Amino acid sequence: MKELTCIVCPTGCLLKVEKISDEWIVEGALCPKGKEFAINEMTSAKRSVSSTVKTTFKNTPRLPVKTDREIPRKLIFSLMEKINEVVLDYPVSTGEVILENVLDTGANIIATADLKNKLQEKTYE
Amino acid sequence: MNPYDVVILGAGPAGLAAGLQAHKSGAKTLIIEREDKLGGILKQCIHDGFGLKKFNEKLTGPEYAGRYIKMIEDENVPIITSTFVTDVSKDQDGFKLSLVNSKKGVYEIHAKSLILANGCRERTPKQIFIHGSRPAGVYTAGTAQYFVNILGYLPCKKCVILGSGDIGLIMARRLTLEGAEIEGVYEAKATPSGLSRNISQCLEDYDIPIHLSHTITKIIGADRVEAVEISKVDDRMIPIIGTETIVECDGVILSVGLIPENEIAESLDIKLDMATKGPFVDQNLMTLEDGVFSCGNALHVNDLVDYVSESGEYAGENALNYVKNIESKKERKLIPINYEKEKFLYVVPQFIDINSDNKRITFYLRSREVRNNVRIQIMGNSEIFFDKKYRFLKPPEMERIEIDLTDINHLDAIEVIMK
Amino acid sequence: MSNLSDKIQRKLNRKISRNITCREWRCSIILEGKVDTWEDVYLAGKLAVNDKYKGVVNKIEVEGLDVPKIKKPLLEDKYLLDKEIDVLIIGGGVIGSSIARELSKWDISVLLVDKEDDLAMHASSRNDGMIHPGLAPKPGTKKAYYNVKGNEMYTKITEELDVSFKRTGSRIVFYNKYMRLITPLIKARARHNGVKGIRYLNVDEIRKEEPNISKNITGAILMPSAGILSPYKMTIAFAENAVMNGVEISLNTIVSAMEKKEDKIISVSTNRGKIYPRVVINAAGAFSDEIAAMADDQFFTIHPRKGEAILLDKKKGNLVNSILSNPALFKIKNTSKGGGLVKTIEGNILVGPNAYEQPYKEDFTTNKNSIDEVLKKHLTLVPKLSSMDAITYFAGIRAATYEEDFIVEKSEHVKNLVHVAGIQSPGLASAPAIAVDVEKMAIEILSEIKNIKKKSNWNPIRKGIPKLNLMEYEKRNELIKGRPDYGEIVCRCEEVSKGEIIDAINSLVPATSIDAIKRRTRAGMGRCQSGFCMPLVAKILEEESGMNMENVTKKGIGSEIIVDETKKHRIEGRGKHESL
Repeated sequence: MKELTCIVCPTGCLLKVEKISDEWIVEGALCPKGKEFAINEMTSAKRSVSSTVKTTFKNTPRLPVKTDREIPRKLIFSLMEKINEVVLDYPVSTGEVILENVLDTGANIIATADLKNKLQEKTYE
Repeated sequence: MNPYDVVILGAGPAGLAAGLQAHKSGAKTLIIEREDKLGGILKQCIHDGFGLKKFNEKLTGPEYAGRYIKMIEDENVPIITSTFVTDVSKDQDGFKLSLVNSKKGVYEIHAKSLILANGCRERTPKQIFIHGSRPAGVYTAGTAQYFVNILGYLPCKKCVILGSGDIGLIMARRLTLEGAEIEGVYEAKATPSGLSRNISQCLEDYDIPIHLSHTITKIIGADRVEAVEISKVDDRMIPIIGTETIVECDGVILSVGLIPENEIAESLDIKLDMATKGPFVDQNLMTLEDGVFSCGNALHVNDLVDYVSESGEYAGENALNYVKNIESKKERKLIPINYEKEKFLYVVPQFIDINSDNKRITFYLRSREVRNNVRIQIMGNSEIFFDKKYRFLKPPEMERIEIDLTDINHLDAIEVIMK
Repeated sequence: MSNLSDKIQRKLNRKISRNITCREWRCSIILEGKVDTWEDVYLAGKLAVNDKYKGVVNKIEVEGLDVPKIKKPLLEDKYLLDKEIDVLIIGGGVIGSSIARELSKWDISVLLVDKEDDLAMHASSRNDGMIHPGLAPKPGTKKAYYNVKGNEMYTKITEELDVSFKRTGSRIVFYNKYMRLITPLIKARARHNGVKGIRYLNVDEIRKEEPNISKNITGAILMPSAGILSPYKMTIAFAENAVMNGVEISLNTIVSAMEKKEDKIISVSTNRGKIYPRVVINAAGAFSDEIAAMADDQFFTIHPRKGEAILLDKKKGNLVNSILSNPALFKIKNTSKGGGLVKTIEGNILVGPNAYEQPYKEDFTTNKNSIDEVLKKHLTLVPKLSSMDAITYFAGIRAATYEEDFIVEKSEHVKNLVHVAGIQSPGLASAPAIAVDVEKMAIEILSEIKNIKKKSNWNPIRKGIPKLNLMEYEKRNELIKGRPDYGEIVCRCEEVSKGEIIDAINSLVPATSIDAIKRRTRAGMGRCQSGFCMPLVAKILEEESGMNMENVTKKGIGSEIIVDETKKHRIEGRGKHESL
């Protein structure tokens, strides 16, 4: 029997999950997402990963990025290797794909901030 | 120059929401930001978990800020950046602000109302009385986060983290992903300070141990951190003599609490609530000084940015209402909101203005301790306005309660009770 | 062995340990042996003090205690190799720097060296900034003489050197009405030392000046000539003026040995090469005894007396207007004053310091018991203050000899060496007066070797970094118009602009580390203790000086603020992950 904290939403339900005769039994979930989460954790844990990529722009040396869907937890460090190889040398917008289908997971690495906007000196008054 | 209706100090999530709301409602608005970019602390919070309530999406900090920045741009809300407020004082129009930036030097503007959305700062090692030497390598989590996420530098190779607050936990994961080793997280309390899901995603996922009821009593190293002395603490969080151990490391990351920034409030003699370290406010988020509003982390430290934006919206809306009604000068009648200090860390707002047209009240509160199966009731003059059972109440997880007192005109006090 | 040294030896054996021996050497008495505690080392030294001896050289060791050797800079090069100079000043604290300024009046070559990465890194930045009135020192001592003289000189000097200075006066407070009876004794001491203006303040007067003072205070003695300034800014100002007038400063430079010939120092070895000075000035603070030993002229020993102090938030600064001292003056150990509350020139309240003997000359660590003790002792003076108001605390080491007086004299045995040693409190107040005398001595020695004259174009005026947040808006705008970076606020707690930080980096004694910038501009000294501004200051340092971020240090090589750029190396997986 394993005790887990659900990470789907800020409530963080304390879940107890056990495999009983080939079926996963989950206790403590206040919503169905929690049950799904618990089973996934035990079979193929997945996580979304956020990080930064290097850029060539002096005033914005790092741009924040994230995976656009969850990837298997065991691939996180391999994913970091791929992310760290990137050196962004062109302006991007939020949501733009920077690395497609990383490690064959189906997940893309997308920008989570505008490099375009950051580069432009804009005064709003 | 004509005074602004609403001037907002800070363009983080609170200030952006406040400015957007005020501007859209027709106020002559100005947002003042001391950094060169908008978004406040969200710029460096590259992890996700933001916006579940507001946008029904799991966004990263920059994405969440980006949504508001786009709205600000689309609505053409006036904002000045890289501008510092050097002085605020009361004058016949309301308030006089002295601003300084490199383009205009020092200059003055006037405002009929002010919204303080300055956010908060981190508690320093000195404030928790860490002794020893002063080597390089001791950082508060936010500073470490800036180095890693904004500038791209590792502050340490092998560090200990003091404090299990969310920022510390997030940094434990972040530093690990960027190649540092976290020797462990040390927490003086007997329970973790941060959200349970962060304990799970940031520590358990990476086999980073958390040691409860332990603290750092000394930092060792003349030029750069070489080690720390760790001691077990008793239930009053006092180090137990004889339990000291030395842990080798080259960095110390501190996540020991946030303190709302209220220098400007204090310079205007606005009373602060010692429980929140933010100003006393009524249900309209107006402080005890007419025309000055407070929202976001400057009012009290939030855990969800969604509530920060909400409070910003309230402040923006109410600031304009205040300005519209300045001529009619309806006096406030403030009745206190009472709560047991042993049960609650704080309750915001601390007052209700019974003369206000707005009687829909949003409470934000925190339990002092971890509690199971309790009931929160909000009552006034023997009438119960709210009654709900809770399975869990934890200090790190703020509760939000709405009540509507629209038809109530007489109240002596409101009681917030935990049973 | 004379009668006196026998007597002392017997006393030491009786009172402290049988394992101590003493012998006379030149005019000093040397103590040797092994004891169990540092306290015994100190007590032995004190017991051996005698008018008949010039000084006590205390070589007693503590069983099992390994006192670390002097911390050396990591730099190693030939920058100063074979350099010939007229005067070498060893030590870049307020003493060495004020001497450098005096000597810069002459048409001679002067080199000041310090082993740290910046000036004023030891005692000169670790004190309460008080310009003492000169009441405390025992009459007839060098301390008394130089304190009173130096105190007077500060009005002109701070004006010339653009250093903020206020004669706030200092008040020794009384807790009961009987203490007032000591007033005539104090006035007599004041007369003796030449301190002017001392008078008694009754309870109404003291309450008027300090409305927040404890109700228990019955009166006070006012010493109007006392003042406050920033001791490290003062040190830097002295040094910058010296540099303006031709003095060279080499930091990260440590003196390791000296070569003598016919009672003269002919060369001084450093980690940057061997130097050939004509005159050497020993202003090496806690290490002045070790410098003296290198010239085979150690007639005294420094016993490091540590003190800790606390700084309170500026928000509470208005609760104290001047300097309030606790009356431990009446404990006739003139070795340390009682400490108290000082309203610093920057507006914080400084609490302390305390004083205790310990063996380490460079241990600037603070410890909880000490700090708690200091707060407990002094915060009662102003009840509205609490330990929650503390924003930071620090420690300093006093360079005290066993005779507890200054040594300001030409060496008796080395023709071209001047000792300016054992400068503990009131060293800061005394510095300008000491500098004038040391200048005389150095010039006398130098004049015998070569013809020298004063410079015709010596410039006493030095302008410091402008403090924009204190200026009238008009003046501030003028500066910002000329230089927009004066309008960009980087340290928001202390309202320090980018321009001021750049000025510090480009100043005559350039700030090359985060702490050096902090000392010159106050960036990082506010309530968030550099939480927000440190990365920004580091970036400015990187841009202005051409350093890489990896080389930016807190206080010199070895204290780098970051370890590496992220994403440069492969990461080993941890925990529940596969590594490649």
